[in-house]
Formats: sequence, C-alpha cells, structure tokens
Amino acid sequence: MTLLSFDAVDAFYGRAQVLRGVSLAIGKGERVGLLGRNGVGKTTVVNALQGIAQVGRGAVVMAGQPAPRIRHYSAARAGISVVPQGRRIIPALSVRENLLLGAAVARPGPWTLARVFELFPVLKERQHTPGTALSGGQQQMLAIGRALMANPDLLVLDEPSEGLAPVIVDELAEVFVRLADEGTSLLLIEQHISLIRRVVERYHIMSKGMIVDSGPLAQLTTEKLKQHVAV
Amino acid sequence: MIIHILNGFVYGGLLYLVAIGLVLIFGIRQVVNFAHGSLFMLGAYVGYAATAIAGFWAGVVAATLVLAILGLLLDRAVFRPLQDQDPIVTLLVTFGLLLVIEDLVRTVWGKDTLTIAMPDLLSGTLRIAGEDFPVYRLFVILVAAGMGAGLTLWLKRSRIGLYVRAFASDPLTTGTQGVDTERVSAAVVALGAGFAGLAGIIAGPLLALSPAMGGSILIESFIVVVVGGFGSFSGAFVAALVIGQLQNLGIVFIPSFSTMIPFLLMMLILLWRPLGLTGRAA
Repeated sequence: MTLLSFDAVDAFYGRAQVLRGVSLAIGKGERVGLLGRNGVGKTTVVNALQGIAQVGRGAVVMAGQPAPRIRHYSAARAGISVVPQGRRIIPALSVRENLLLGAAVARPGPWTLARVFELFPVLKERQHTPGTALSGGQQQMLAIGRALMANPDLLVLDEPSEGLAPVIVDELAEVFVRLADEGTSLLLIEQHISLIRRVVERYHIMSKGMIVDSGPLAQLTTEKLKQHVAV
Repeated sequence: MIIHILNGFVYGGLLYLVAIGLVLIFGIRQVVNFAHGSLFMLGAYVGYAATAIAGFWAGVVAATLVLAILGLLLDRAVFRPLQDQDPIVTLLVTFGLLLVIEDLVRTVWGKDTLTIAMPDLLSGTLRIAGEDFPVYRLFVILVAAGMGAGLTLWLKRSRIGLYVRAFASDPLTTGTQGVDTERVSAAVVALGAGFAGLAGIIAGPLLALSPAMGGSILIESFIVVVVGGFGSFSGAFVAALVIGQLQNLGIVFIPSFSTMIPFLLMMLILLWRPLGLTGRAA
C-alpha cells in the first residue's frame, strides 16, 4: 500500500508558491531520501502534509486515503510521524511528557515508553528533566522517540543530522537502519550525503520547488550531488 | 487576626476562580477576554434564577453548566476567529461582548440589586480562635481550594491536561502530534467560563447582584494574572492569595488606601519582574 503520495502538488505559504508540481510516493517498507540545497522546498513537503503549507493544485494521499483538507493532525492520524527540523521539543514538558505527547494518536504497535527508553537509555535517565534541557543530540533522540510513540507506518525525518557531532550522526544512522529493518518506512530529508547513502534505497532531488531527479541509490552519482546538493 | 486572614482567603479564592479562567483562555487562545467579568456576573444571575426554582445547590450546578456551555459557544463564535487577530480587535470585540451581556442581564432581571439566600446547611457560624466565623465563608474557601487542587491535578496527571500544557507552550507542534487542538481549546474555554459561573453563584450570597458586578472583579483578576505572570496557572494561584490577603488586611487596617493596594502591588511586581512572579522570557 502507498503510505504517502504527492501527485503534482503545488504548495503555498499565503500567496507565495514554494512547491511546483511535486510528485513522489512512498510504499510500505521503503526508505526514500529527499535531497537538495537549503531553500529548495524540502521542508515545505513536510509542511504540506502537516497543513502548515497550503496545498493548491494536486493531490496528497495518506495511508491510501485522499486528504482533500489537511489539518495539523492529519498526518499523525494517518500513521505518518514527523521528526521536524529543529526538533520542536516542547519547553513546558519534561522528557517523559514530550514522549507521552507523541502517543496522542493511540495507534496499536510495538512502540511504548519502555521500548523508546530501551532504544535511547539516556532519555530514561533524564526523563523528569525539561525536554529543552537536553543536549542537541539528546533532543534529536527525544524527537525521534516522540515520533515513534505514535507507532507510525512512515517516519519522516527532516534534517535529523543538523547541528550534531559526527559521532552522534553515526549513532542515529544505526537507529534509522534498525527502524527500517523492523519495517518502518522512512522518508529521510537530508544534506548529509553519507547518512543518505547508509539509510535510503532510492532518492528524489529537489531544486526550485520541483523534483528534478529520482532513482535508485545506485544512480545517485557524484555529478548529481555536485550539481544539486553540494554548496 | 485569624478571622481577617480567613476573609482574605475568601476573596482570594473568588479572585482565583475568575482569574484562572482568564489564564486558561489566554494560554490556549491568546485572547485577553475583557468579557470574563460579565461571565462571573451572568453566573451569579443564572444561579439566582435556578436557586429561585430549585434551591441553592441546583443554582450552583446550573450556573457552572450554563456558563460552561456558553464558553463552548463563545469559543466557536468569538475566540477561535479572534486568536490570530490584532490584539486591538480582540479588545474591542470582547469589550463589546461585555456590554452585550450586561445589557442582556439588565433587560431580563432589571437594574435593581438582587440577593441570593445562603443555603440553610451553610448559614451558621463556627467558633474559630475565640470568634464566630460564617460557615458559608469557609465553604467558599474550600470550593476555591478544591477547584485549584483539582485543576492542578488535571493539568499535571491527565492526558488532556498534558495536551493543554503542551498547547499553551507550542500549539503547532502539539497539533502535529495528532492532538485535535480545536477540541482541546473548546474544552478549556468551557472550563474557564464554567469556573467564572461557579465563582458568580458562590459569591452570590456574599454580594449584591447587579449587572455591573463583573467590572471590579475583572480588574482585580487582571491584576492577579499580570502579577502571577501572564499564562501561569501556579502564578495566578499565588497572586490571588496574596492580593486577597492584602486587599482584606488593607480594608481592616488602612481602609482609605485599601483599593490602591492591588494596583501598587502590580506596579512594584512589574518593576521588579516585568513578566510577573512566575513569568519567564520566551
């Protein structure tokens, strides 16, 4: 089943158009990368499926169902959890409470508080501290744990390596591979090429609000990366 | 002295019940509700009407429920559309609402003051520290304390309380986690309006009911909210108790200055901590 598809989607912030005819699809068990330089519209893909950017022309399908009117909660309820750029940990809540908020959508599945603590033991140790008191890497773990608490079919990761030390990025890569191996589909939005190469099996490249290249990972050549991703 | 302190708790308790509604509505909708004092007043009148038909306890239930339902309607028709508007628009609309509710009450119940009789069960006095203290006033303290404790437990322990705290801190992220924030908001506004209605009916036997009775408690509730830190639940609790005590002790010991005390306190707190007692920079 297709978990998420964009069919020729235009997306806007107010009157400003950012996405132009974007089409992509992610099926069960797939690991897809979305690449491109800053400002090409990668995060707007995420924002469009969370009702933050408005979809104009085109169609978004979530969990096999067309989503004609997307609200902020639509993606989460369709089994699509997002680890947002900048993590967006809620300052007023403790680590534990941030995780429990992720379980607002009571979908059945293997992820519980205990299992998230098993995956990221540091979160258990610091469960009663405010979420924003954690280090950058720990906050990223918290954002991932919060997304997993919804037992998603598809995990969307928006620039998860941003601002993190290489050793932490390596740890996260292992976690993403493990999640994918356990059956969670992934849409990894990244500029960190080694992370993309370790995790995904096919890719889309964006430029100026459009998908300009797509294919299996083997076709992601250095030339394409130089042309569309490298600064 | 103990009697004076208890009287301070009575007024502080009523202030808390009104102010917490302001805090809840501001925290969720970012709307400063100038009509909140008139919800308190309307609660007293609805309670008066229900008391006349079925007794005081029916009045308590009716005032709380009717105002909570009115809160739901206000959230849908007024606060939700206002939440992204310029604050001056919010001020004008909620001020207009205040005038409409006052006029409505004046039309239905007239301009003359009305009174609500105390229930027989609570009409006696209790000997405390060698002096008589009305049982009804103890009841008001207990209701305010019980509501404060219940609200704190609800916010800290319940799932919806978690969503409310999350939403007050970051509405967008809370929504993207799958929470239907519009429903949470409606429930919270209903709760805030219900608290105002409850405060109105239980204040009824202590005050003369008039369409203008919401004005003074609104001003002092705003002082509570500002002193406590805008949007702070615990700050409102502390500030209501402090202002209740100072106001009451002022009436006893320096009556000519007592009405100034809350304003002086607000000025001092704002000079010392511009974000209020528990306010934190964003």
